[in-house]
Amino acid sequence: MKMLKASIALAALIISGAAVAGDSPAPKKAYLYIGWPNDGEVIRSNNFKVWFGLRNMGVAPTGVDKPLTGHHHLIVDAPLPPMDQEIPADRNHLHFGKGQTETRITLEPGTHTLQLLLADYNHVPHNPPVVSRKITITVK
Amino acid sequence: MNKFFMVATMLVALIPGLAIAGDSPAPDNARVYFLWPKNGTTIKGGKFWARFGLQNMGVAPAGVVKSGTGHHHLIIDADLPSFDEEIPADRNHVHYGKGYSEGRVELPPGRHTLQLLFADHGHFPHNPPVYSEKITILVPAE
Repeated sequence: MKMLKASIALAALIISGAAVAGDSPAPKKAYLYIGWPNDGEVIRSNNFKVWFGLRNMGVAPTGVDKPLTGHHHLIVDAPLPPMDQEIPADRNHLHFGKGQTETRITLEPGTHTLQLLLADYNHVPHNPPVVSRKITITVK
Repeated sequence: MNKFFMVATMLVALIPGLAIAGDSPAPDNARVYFLWPKNGTTIKGGKFWARFGLQNMGVAPAGVVKSGTGHHHLIIDADLPSFDEEIPADRNHVHYGKGYSEGRVELPPGRHTLQLLFADHGHFPHNPPVYSEKITILVPAE
């Protein structure tokens, strides 16, 4: 019996490991993009606005379990995290759990990448994941 | 003493009638604005996505009670409605109760005004009310 339980647990572990996205469905026409700045923009201030564009889905704060909503995460100078796990919260993965649709960020002079990833009330990306194009900007 | 309480109660009862905004507080630095279009923009064909800017507050779908949040309303060719009532829902007052941060708009040729008004879970404007500048756009005749 102990062995059976262990194998069930193991099977569950394997299944969750094989997942490629979270459990919250997203419509195929969901569209996430960075409305400002534009790809290739040269910004002459190290503190600037980033506006989050989202079509055909809505924004909801963290913890609000409502279908076809999520909250924004801005990924700075990093690749996409795994799509079947909670998005990490650190200086490269900024969470906007209060339902914000824009922010101001401060970046050192140089070239940087920005990408948006929407996630559900639990910080797990949707299925299919709703991801923006990754843009590159230069801070002078 | 009893009389005093009665007067105090009556005064409190009168206050809601004098309200000029809803009950949900908004921070003083809250701001809504149009990221696009800008005031004075000419839009050929009259079909566009209006992008809603929001600073120092968050978006939540209608019905979600969470402080510091609300949802957008786009007022087209109309003045601001009363701040102490639910925002009407009609062709001049478009609700974005699903938590949208932009809206598809289709307007006939002519001059049109657009204004954003943020409101709480029950469609009541905040206190103080959070609304944008009223902008004018032009849709040229085909």
